[in-house]
Order: sequence, then C-alpha cells, then structure tokens
Amino acid sequence: MKTVLLSAVLLVLGLPAWAHHSFAAEYDGEKFVTMKGVVTKIDWQNPHLHFYVDVTTAKGEVEQWKFEGFPPNMLVRQGWKKDVSLKAGDHITVTGWLARDGSKLAHSREITWDDGKKLLSGPPAGTGGN
Amino acid sequence: MTARSLAICILAAVPLYSQTPSKPPVPRTAAGKPDLSGVWQGGNLSFAIGEQNAARVSAPGGAPAAPAKPEPPPYTEAAMKIVQQYRDRRGIDDPAARCLLVGIPRITGMPMPFQITQTATQVLFLYEAFHTFRIIPTDGRPHPDDITPSFMGDSVAHWEGDTLVVDIVGFNDKTWLNGVGTFHTEKLHITERFTRVDYDTILYDVKMEDPEVLTKPWNQHATIRLRPEDRVREYECGENNEDILRFESLLKNENLFRKQ
Repeated sequence: MKTVLLSAVLLVLGLPAWAHHSFAAEYDGEKFVTMKGVVTKIDWQNPHLHFYVDVTTAKGEVEQWKFEGFPPNMLVRQGWKKDVSLKAGDHITVTGWLARDGSKLAHSREITWDDGKKLLSGPPAGTGGN
Repeated sequence: MTARSLAICILAAVPLYSQTPSKPPVPRTAAGKPDLSGVWQGGNLSFAIGEQNAARVSAPGGAPAAPAKPEPPPYTEAAMKIVQQYRDRRGIDDPAARCLLVGIPRITGMPMPFQITQTATQVLFLYEAFHTFRIIPTDGRPHPDDITPSFMGDSVAHWEGDTLVVDIVGFNDKTWLNGVGTFHTEKLHITERFTRVDYDTILYDVKMEDPEVLTKPWNQHATIRLRPEDRVREYECGENNEDILRFESLLKNENLFRKQ
C-alpha cells in the first residue's frame, strides 16, 4: 500500500508546474498564506491570470491584494470558464505564497467560494533555484 | 484439488490481473513503423526542481522503471560556476521568463500538451507551449548546409527499429537545457529517442552533448503520455508579461537573492 501511495504522490508531483518563470524568482515558498476577501477585478490573460481581492484586516482596514495564477489554457484544464468561474463581487478564500519583495502580491494555489466550490488556480510552489 | 492443479489455476489466473484491460495495440503506419500521431503530454523533464523522473517511475503498462535519481548535469568546473550564479539568482535570468522559445529538451517537459502528426516523410511536432513547432524530415536527408543558429535547432530523424531517433544541431546559445541555469553553447548536439512502448506511452530518452561546457554526454529520460481527451490550445506568452517588469525591480534588492 505504501508503494501505491508513493506512486500516487509521485504522479501528482510529476506533473510539470512552471511554464513561464521560476517560482523562486518572485515568490517565497516558505510564506504560504490563506486570505479571505471580495474579488474586485480579473485579468484573464497570458502568461498568467491575475485577480484582485479586497481583504479586510483584523483592524478593519481594507487591503488590495493581487494574485497570480495559471494561464488561460491551463485554467480551462482545471475546470475554469472565463467570466463564469470567477467574477467581481465573489466572496472567496484563496491560498498561495507571498511575493519576496513584501508587496501585496501573492501566487495563488486554490480558490474556495463561499458555496464550497473549489478550483486550483495556480501550480504548487517550486524552488526554482537548485 | 491437487497441489498441481491448484498451481495451474493460480498460474492461469495471474495474467488476468497483470493485463491492462482493453488497451489497443501500438498503431502502425503502412510502412510498418509505430505511428506516433496524437496529442501527448510530457512532464517529468519539468523545470520545477525535484519533479524529474516522477512520471516515469509511475508509468503504467509495464514501462521500465527509471533510475530514482536523475543524472546530474556534467558541467566543467568553470561552467558549473556560471550555473551556480544563475541558481543564486533564483532563476530570474530564465530566457523563458522573457517569453523566448525554451529549446530542446525543455519543450518536452512543458506543462502543456503537444500534437505529433506523422506522415510517410515527416514527423511534425506542434507544441502548445510558446506555440512553436518542429518539422522533422524522416526521408533520409541530412541537415541543410545553411543552418542559422536558432532556439529550437534543426532536426532530422530516422528509425532504428521501432524507435524514432532525432538528431538536432544548429542551436543558438540562448536557451536552458533542463533546470535553472543549464546553459549551453552553439556547439550543442542533441539526440532524442522516441519509443512508443504501448498505446498510451512514449519513452523519451535524450542525450545532450556540448564539448564546450559538458565533460561528457548528459542523458535524461522522461515518459510522454497520450492525452486523447485533450487538444492543443493557445498559449501566447507575450500578451501581458508583467513578471519581467517586476524582475527589474527585484534585481535592485540584492538581499532577495542568495549569496554564493
């Protein structure tokens, strides 16, 4: 059974992740975050999806965060549909990794909508530096 | 039931469990060669570190297992120092980040499928990633004598048994082979071997030679899988490549990069 599980893990890890640039060039794989907020804008573009989320902090301040994700061709293979899956006004929880430069930029991994729907929005972290 | 008849029953039952159900045979052309036509996905020549070989290890259909650890690049000492500089900069110099063609063999590991279309005299590779292509003659002609160095080089191929062997020369020195900083020179010579071992699996073996920076041939292996449910879509990398603008900003902060 252990072998079967290992094979399954390897199969998942074996899927190539980064088509365009090194993860580690921009993002910190040690800084995994989960944020909740309201989507304000979606740029369905190559080489990366970008979407913007208003996140309310514990102090009640609203921060505007930007998230990077898969290109459109890979989003479609994850089950996404342009203008349908993610819309301005959606309440979402998004996971991802923070940018190295400390800006309000992160690389997204998965989005969960309030109704429980989930979609992967970006590849897993890679080091890109070894 | 005697021990002998029990053994016969067991032996007879084993193939039922070991066979993959209803997998068609490898299709063949009129000339009797394996037909590689179809939509395929490479993958374990991944750019992401640590993902090499995983798909091959888990390959179905009795494909031979790959070595658990990929072969390290055999760079000369001087060349390895340059590779390390690229690594210390976390891959920020990656030509692909500028939306340039990724070259060979890296194109095979892109996380996007490609279509192979095979005729009697050519094999065409149509790649979704960076929407590039290769037109590879299989009619015995040599490389042309007017090659200009290019990102994807010049490919010619022939069959060795059931294996398509592709010879590629004429590269420029602007791509990375497979992994951060794996640079090469225009002396790069690559030999690819495509073997369709069963209906949905091509084993991919690639040999990279560059006497300027490699001390010996560098061999890599991957599994390419049939994706009959998929089709090649569009990936226009240059539409809004704002990463490169952010890179310029990042490069001003040396603290963001590892020290040697």
